[in-house]
Amino acid sequence: MVAPATPKSWYLPSKPHKFCPGCGHGIVLKALGETIDELDIQDKTIFGCDIGCSLLAWDFFACDSTQTHHGRTTPVMVGIKRARPELIAIGYMGDGGGYSIGSQHLLNAAVRNEKVTLILVNNTNYGMTGGQMAPTTLPGQKTETSPFGRDPELTGYPTKGPEFISELTPDGAYVARATVSKYKQLRRFLRNALRNQIEGNGFSFVEVLSTCPTNWRTNAQQTWHFLEDEMEQYFTVGELKTPFGKGDK
Amino acid sequence: MQKVIGETKKAFLTGNEAIAWGCLAAEAEIMFGYPITPQNEIMHYWTRLAPKYGKNFLQTEDEISAGFTVCGALQTGLKAFTATAGPGNVLMQEPFGMAEAMRLPFFAIIQQRGGPSSGTVIYSQQEVSLTAHGGNGEGHRIVYSTANHQELYDYTIKGFNTAWKYRFPTFLLGDGYQAKMREPLEMYDPSDRGIEIIKPFPLIGLEGHIGEDREPQHLRNIYSLEEELYDVVLKYDSEYDSIKAELVEFSEMQCEDAEIIIISHGVVSRAAEDAVKALRAQGIKAGCFRPITLRPFPREQLLAVIDKSNAKKMLIAESAMGQLERIVKYEIYGQTLPVETLFMPGVGIIDYDLINKVKSII
Amino acid sequence: MWVTEQNVARVVEAYVGEYASGKSEMAINRALELKNQGRQVTLVDLDTVEPFYTLRPLQDKLENLGVNLICLSAKDSFGLGETGAMLNPKARWALRHEGDIILDIGYGIHGAKTLNLVEGANESEELKILLVINYTRPMTNSRERIKEYIKSFDRIDGIIANTHLANETTVEIIKKGNTEIAAVAEENNLPVVYMAVDIRLAEEVNQHEFEIPIKFINRYMPEAIWS
Repeated sequence: MVAPATPKSWYLPSKPHKFCPGCGHGIVLKALGETIDELDIQDKTIFGCDIGCSLLAWDFFACDSTQTHHGRTTPVMVGIKRARPELIAIGYMGDGGGYSIGSQHLLNAAVRNEKVTLILVNNTNYGMTGGQMAPTTLPGQKTETSPFGRDPELTGYPTKGPEFISELTPDGAYVARATVSKYKQLRRFLRNALRNQIEGNGFSFVEVLSTCPTNWRTNAQQTWHFLEDEMEQYFTVGELKTPFGKGDK
Repeated sequence: MQKVIGETKKAFLTGNEAIAWGCLAAEAEIMFGYPITPQNEIMHYWTRLAPKYGKNFLQTEDEISAGFTVCGALQTGLKAFTATAGPGNVLMQEPFGMAEAMRLPFFAIIQQRGGPSSGTVIYSQQEVSLTAHGGNGEGHRIVYSTANHQELYDYTIKGFNTAWKYRFPTFLLGDGYQAKMREPLEMYDPSDRGIEIIKPFPLIGLEGHIGEDREPQHLRNIYSLEEELYDVVLKYDSEYDSIKAELVEFSEMQCEDAEIIIISHGVVSRAAEDAVKALRAQGIKAGCFRPITLRPFPREQLLAVIDKSNAKKMLIAESAMGQLERIVKYEIYGQTLPVETLFMPGVGIIDYDLINKVKSII
Repeated sequence: MWVTEQNVARVVEAYVGEYASGKSEMAINRALELKNQGRQVTLVDLDTVEPFYTLRPLQDKLENLGVNLICLSAKDSFGLGETGAMLNPKARWALRHEGDIILDIGYGIHGAKTLNLVEGANESEELKILLVINYTRPMTNSRERIKEYIKSFDRIDGIIANTHLANETTVEIIKKGNTEIAAVAEENNLPVVYMAVDIRLAEEVNQHEFEIPIKFINRYMPEAIWS
């Protein structure tokens, strides 16, 4: 049997990783690891993670890494990049950290066109705290804090991050939404987002639609169904803003 | 290193300006800040001076962001700082907590204003508890309470060094009066006074190839088990305990034969010194004691001063409702000298207030 | 009867119920009961809502008693951070283990849907889903509320009446609570498999006063500080 190749930028002592079976984080982090390898930026990458399941990546990479507070990864990465522009600052967060408690940071970093790369994993709920409603929870979706299904009349509609960020950012920014169901596209979007930082063009943001079978209480088939037939229908996958010209349809 | 100040000379400054110059003299590299009175002129002068010396500034979206951008910059080894006040100090407790947990050399200037809530933008000594013991932990912090513009300059330089040497969050605790008052001070280049500026160093973004020259750095502030955190906190506490003796600072005036000792800090201690002089001129044996470090507190020193005095009473005076008093009483627990208090929350205390109070209690 | 399984090939039971209804206590007692009959037992911690407040502190004790435990151990969780909605990957394949399987399901609005995470659980013919009810818990403290609560589950195979009020439990509290639970069970055509009674009350509670079989249980969970 041939074992799948492990990215060079993975930190092996922390493997196997700590995510639940079927969790999409592993796919995102594999794509990110391969992209770091491809762009040869391991030694100058600073990987920052939020609170929430993204926290479990605090020692995932053989890159200098720092773990912050809930929602505060964006300002920490901004501080790092402002202090040492030669470093590649990658912030890694969930939908709660990015769109809820840290939304003012995300919004203002985008407006200022901060030259950092932020990766936001959207799994439609707060996984680590036990499956509560997130800004991205779909209408009707049941969570621990929306036990009868999310009612948009009471709690609004799901946050569409890339859509508002692409409106806020000036030229030079890169904004995309990927999904763990389309790995090659995910890799391409991450490559573009990091290339954009390396070239110093502007803010780079990739939301990744991801899976959370533990909190969705879904088996493999149901998990994939929710991702492809529910989430990807609501959240349009693709590049919303790119300095590199349209390559993806 | 280019000397920022050049030849030592007397200058006439507002307090906030003195701090901005002190930051330059301390070789600070970048300020992250958010506007709030009464600290604004620190930002104003830093932003005017910074480009001339190749320094940077970022106005963030709020104090939370200002604090966390400082945390990020510090981790990469850049001498970053911020300044705030009142409700901004409340918001910054979160990043101060991260600095405490990750032992980041965080130096911040706090210019106290009235509280609670928005209070006043003018003056108080009501941010003592928050600054010295804030956050959701043990308050392993170092707090210098200054009294005049020379000290604002001196302790800004010292504060950076303390932060980078010991890596506990370090604060210069001023107030709106000190921020806005103007008075002469001597500005000097630290090297002319034999003060060595501690060079910053990175915790992440290190040199060398990972896996060949070095291991990757993984910094964190969260632990999953009670016992893990317990060990970390005990370690921090013992380190903090071991440096207390070299950190504590205080000043004392004519306590030796004093029958009453006035205890105050910050700008109020100036009134206390004037009051002691006036009371002595009227034949009343008064003395005064001032903790310069509110945390760690000069406990042994205050006990020794009380011991060798003839004091029958002490008077604790502050522009707050007992924030200093609580610290003093805790620190000198067991000492039986009767305590009188003069609390004027959010209001300045002058020598006249103290003289009248002393006369009414002896 | 349910509780004697000398002749049963394999016991697969999932314990569901309200937060703090006694699921883990029932599951542990059951696992040890089976173990004492000389059977091979695997106890699986499937609490994904509060996984750091479950069986972890009892791990060594249960393993020393011969129960195979699948949970997040202290060692596994080193550096994990927060409470964590975490699932030990082994839990997914729990039914592949030989011997009896006791699944301790956490509380939460998804109820027994957590079993979707265990490969083969929903197809298993051996699986029994047991609902633990403590009448002193506010969400299940009346017939109406119990009825409503049962309705939130797609499938229940039996009920365990576990009315207790910690150290203040009295025979009267048990009698009143379990009578109400039994009445609702009957209405829903569900068997009350047994009523659990703290063994410290063994002398005060007589089987002949109750129609439901009594099972005396030891309390293990108080060894975890938060219980």
